[in-house]
Amino acid sequence: MRSVWVIFKRELAQYFVSPIAYLVAFAILLLISLSFNSDLEQRVLNAQRPNGTIALTAFAFFMIFFAPLLTMRLLAEEAREGTLELMFTLPVRDSEIVLGKFLGAWAYYTVILALTLVYPVIIMMLTTFSDALLHSEMDIGPVIAGYLGIWLFGGATLAVGLFFSALTENQIIAGFLSMATLFILWLGDLAGLLPSSIISTELARALRVISLQAHYSTSFVIGVIRMEDVVFYMGIMAVMLYATMLTLESRRWR
Amino acid sequence: MIEVEDLTKRYGNFLALDHISFNAKEGQIVGFLGPNGAGKTTTMRILTGYMPPTSGRAVIAGYDVTTDPIDARQQIGYLPETVPLYPDMTVSGYVKFMAELRGLADKKKAVMAALEQVGLAHRANSLVRNISKGMRQRLGLAQAIVHNPPVLILDEPTIGLDPQQVREVRHLIRDLAKNHTVLFSTHILSEAEQLCDDVIIIHQGKILAQGSPVELRERLQLSGRIYVRTRGKITALQDTLKRLMEINEIIPYQDGVIVTPKNNREIRPAIAQAVANAKLDLLELRPLATSLEDIFIEITEVGGDA
Repeated sequence: MRSVWVIFKRELAQYFVSPIAYLVAFAILLLISLSFNSDLEQRVLNAQRPNGTIALTAFAFFMIFFAPLLTMRLLAEEAREGTLELMFTLPVRDSEIVLGKFLGAWAYYTVILALTLVYPVIIMMLTTFSDALLHSEMDIGPVIAGYLGIWLFGGATLAVGLFFSALTENQIIAGFLSMATLFILWLGDLAGLLPSSIISTELARALRVISLQAHYSTSFVIGVIRMEDVVFYMGIMAVMLYATMLTLESRRWR
Repeated sequence: MIEVEDLTKRYGNFLALDHISFNAKEGQIVGFLGPNGAGKTTTMRILTGYMPPTSGRAVIAGYDVTTDPIDARQQIGYLPETVPLYPDMTVSGYVKFMAELRGLADKKKAVMAALEQVGLAHRANSLVRNISKGMRQRLGLAQAIVHNPPVLILDEPTIGLDPQQVREVRHLIRDLAKNHTVLFSTHILSEAEQLCDDVIIIHQGKILAQGSPVELRERLQLSGRIYVRTRGKITALQDTLKRLMEINEIIPYQDGVIVTPKNNREIRPAIAQAVANAKLDLLELRPLATSLEDIFIEITEVGGDA
């Protein structure tokens, strides 16, 4: 476990000196602020109840594209630079390398996510703590559940990205493959909309079950924390991290 | 310190290592000498626990690399052929990271000591991306010695350096051998000759010869071909030598002949006798292989035909 901590620290620090990590953070925060702004404007005009989770819904979708940017480096670069060879000869287990790197990425993600907490705060400033610019108060339940959900969701996307980073020495390929995979997993939600002549109902149902979106948009974000959804995201993380470990191990046999 | 027994490695159908065995004692510098693709890196990767052998055994300071991998790795400092550096870290940060992964208690002191030893203490705060190639090589060494391991494994430590840097690194290796057992690989013969207590010549996955540079030279000169030159025509010399029983083959070469003895026998006295009896004036009688380089080429050629 000591090695996990050492690797975790280095990976997290690496994000703070890496231009791409700053760009990702900047892009996510910019896009979220725009969607938050327009949503708030709409609701004020229509006198609707403010939505504290709007930032999160946008966040989830953007992670399809940005998680690969955060993870594509992690193992592909080490393999190319030859540092992975040294890593393999240290008294460190493969599982510790994988876990340290994953936790580093997840921690950086958590930092970006934490910055978006400013939006629920803004809404509360406008409602609960002001002279009712908006008619009704924000519902805090979905915000708490939503943040838990998006946190788990992000972990799952990062685990998928890490797996593809272990698969190849080429960062671009790793990033592209994980982006494509995440996109398909995201769209799995829409499988049910296709006519049954194209896709069988069973298959559509199966796709929806493994859809990244379905376990989020119909539960956490409306304030429901269901065990099956928590287990789903944890499961994706566990499976992907295990697959990453096996992939690393297979490098030793090549 | 290092015991290797019957080590074999296959990549698919390709036999990269063919039952090699050798030992390195404490405080020795052992050089792995061989052309590219001979199996040097493969052997080192097995010893360092990077990959498992197909069969056979390798023991580092009492720990088997396959059954006791974590303990065995703790005994080793390893410098791979491409120096494994993180360009975005500082020099001292990098060594500290490695020291932490090896679980060192007194990191700060160990890091400074290692940097001091490789002569990089003055660049401790530079970014790795900004230091020269020679310095990178030395930083790679610092990483390998920071935990003061009994065994150092260095894969082509002087490759790609300029002559001045090569000298520095060689000097450093000799220095390190005072406290460590060093196994290093090279395809530069003079390097092996200068540095090693023991040379292992490896070719196509087999160990062809092993011993101190002096021993090797003697042994191989004995078995090797001999050049004989006398005054006068070659034919007279050829006729004389043909009568000797121990000779396998006589080939005219320049002004004399090259003689290959049977069964690696020492035939120089017999040749001298025969030449004298035939009343020929002996001008030259010497083993053809005079440097490690000749031996190496000779051996690898023989190995290649086999």
